[in-house]
Amino acid sequence: MNDDPPPNPALLPAGLSDLLPPEAETAAASVEAIMGIFAAHAYQRVKPPLLEFADGLLAGTGAAMADQTFHLMDPDSHRMMGLRADMTPQVARIATTRLAHLARPLRLSYAGQSLRVRATGLAAERQIAQAGIELIGPDSPAADAEIVQVGAEALAALGLTRISFDLTLPQLVPTLLEEAGLPPAARSALGRALDRKDAAAVAEHGGKLAGTLTDLLLAAGPADRALEALLGAALTPGARAHAERLAATVAAIRARVPELRLTVDPVEFRGLRYHTGVTLTVFAPGRHEELARGGRYICGNGEAGEPATGLTLYPDAVLRAAPPRAPRPRIFLPAGTDAAAAAALRAEGYATVAALHPIADPAGEARRLACSFLLAAAGPVALTPE
Amino acid sequence: MTVAFPTAVLEPEAAGPLILALPKGRILQECAPLLARAGIRPHPDLADENSRMLRFPTDDPALDVVRVRSFDVATFVAFGAAQLGICGADVLMEFDYPEIYAPLDLGIGACRVAVAEPRDTAGSDDPRTWSRVRVATKYPNIARRHYAARGINADVVALNGAMELAPGLGLSRLIVDLVATGSTLKANGLVETEVIAHVTSRLIVNRTALKTRPEQVGAWIARFRAALTTRP
Repeated sequence: MNDDPPPNPALLPAGLSDLLPPEAETAAASVEAIMGIFAAHAYQRVKPPLLEFADGLLAGTGAAMADQTFHLMDPDSHRMMGLRADMTPQVARIATTRLAHLARPLRLSYAGQSLRVRATGLAAERQIAQAGIELIGPDSPAADAEIVQVGAEALAALGLTRISFDLTLPQLVPTLLEEAGLPPAARSALGRALDRKDAAAVAEHGGKLAGTLTDLLLAAGPADRALEALLGAALTPGARAHAERLAATVAAIRARVPELRLTVDPVEFRGLRYHTGVTLTVFAPGRHEELARGGRYICGNGEAGEPATGLTLYPDAVLRAAPPRAPRPRIFLPAGTDAAAAAALRAEGYATVAALHPIADPAGEARRLACSFLLAAAGPVALTPE
Repeated sequence: MTVAFPTAVLEPEAAGPLILALPKGRILQECAPLLARAGIRPHPDLADENSRMLRFPTDDPALDVVRVRSFDVATFVAFGAAQLGICGADVLMEFDYPEIYAPLDLGIGACRVAVAEPRDTAGSDDPRTWSRVRVATKYPNIARRHYAARGINADVVALNGAMELAPGLGLSRLIVDLVATGSTLKANGLVETEVIAHVTSRLIVNRTALKTRPEQVGAWIARFRAALTTRP
């Protein structure tokens, strides 16, 4: 006999949640507002499926997400399928296969849900909404800057104007370590130390680079100061080329969106792990979660790879950071209300709660159904809460 | 969805004091001179372990101090409840939070994470032949990682204190614990057989705080760095 009480039917698997009124509507409206900005900049929407064959989904840029992807077997083809953990690899696949014939630069946008095997970092969610853009073809500071500009505009459309973009160069440290001739074993220990900005471990594993790396590690901060420290550091030729590209990207962003707050972290190289150039992370002051993440990567596989850059917004995190939006006011329409009058109210932005049968106390019924207005003979009347 | 924080409590940009989380106990005493050299003058109750206060103002209105357990310093900083903290490298090794940066080695609180065994049985069998070992520790992750790297499954008995009792009472074969002088081990019939890591205290900062309030957080890192170089 098992005397455990039955599980509560409301309990969901960890990291999954129901979105309720009014947040569900706000979330949908916000995603559409974001997508509207993307569309206005000629980023054309694509809609990849939730499931793909795993070998395709996890090839190329997708390989980085392999350990975060739910797998299931297709009973039809008996092949393994992956449930997307990130939409960027899907869009990259579309760009290099079905849309390979379209003129470059190719601008694509997308919105949808993704699922991860484990919650990452401190965030508890395993289902992650994404809304993003990809700019495929050009490898230039101007392309990097366009992504930042469009992303900032989309966030501004939701009232988020005090955001900051953190720029990093995931290839800088590996290039520097390789060109400086550090043995691979030291590189991995050092990489980990740099990721945690652990100055003591950097000093321990850094060898002759320890001084330079410690300076770079402490240079993270406002873009101008960090770039000055980065360009002034003793860099190897390949690493210097990366640094100069970052400086050019910062200049291009400043020219387009001069008021945007930019920080630079020269030694950080965490991210979605497929990035090959300048990467972006968007923060809002006082919030501990990332609002968006993106950067430069190679779209497609091997020889056929194309340079690309993109930005993925996390609408759930964005909404938590954005100023609250007033939900549509609800107005109660007594039975027999003129259909044209009701339509006019909806056109004004009201949500009309129509009585399904005559009610003796319309004001009481309106309050019971959480309406803040009642349609009287003279027009809408605001109801005071009792 | 996670219950949303009311937006009104969001800290406006560059406003609100930064929070420095400090560990109770030995490290708190050892870091007092360093805090003084960094120009931090906290409320006098901070040093009084009997005080009921948990959050202490400093003479700088832009910095408050909280006093919590050493393991909790890392948690407060990782979740951004405190932007700065001081804690031992053992705690950082155990939790391995990617949200924590450890930009400065403060050189205080020196000790080590070590393996200890009963004096009578130490060295009596060859660890290379083990496929599993039962370990009592307050560092389950460190212990598992350490033994996994040698191909040994560590069956961890998680304890919060008095680890030294475990082998003698048959709870575990050995212990993994923080050792400063080794006198507690000795008093309980244990010997240190292996050092897993040498530990000192670190200044830690929250990653997001460093990205969103770089001027303020960076200024504090610089002050601690300067305080280290003026160490008498």
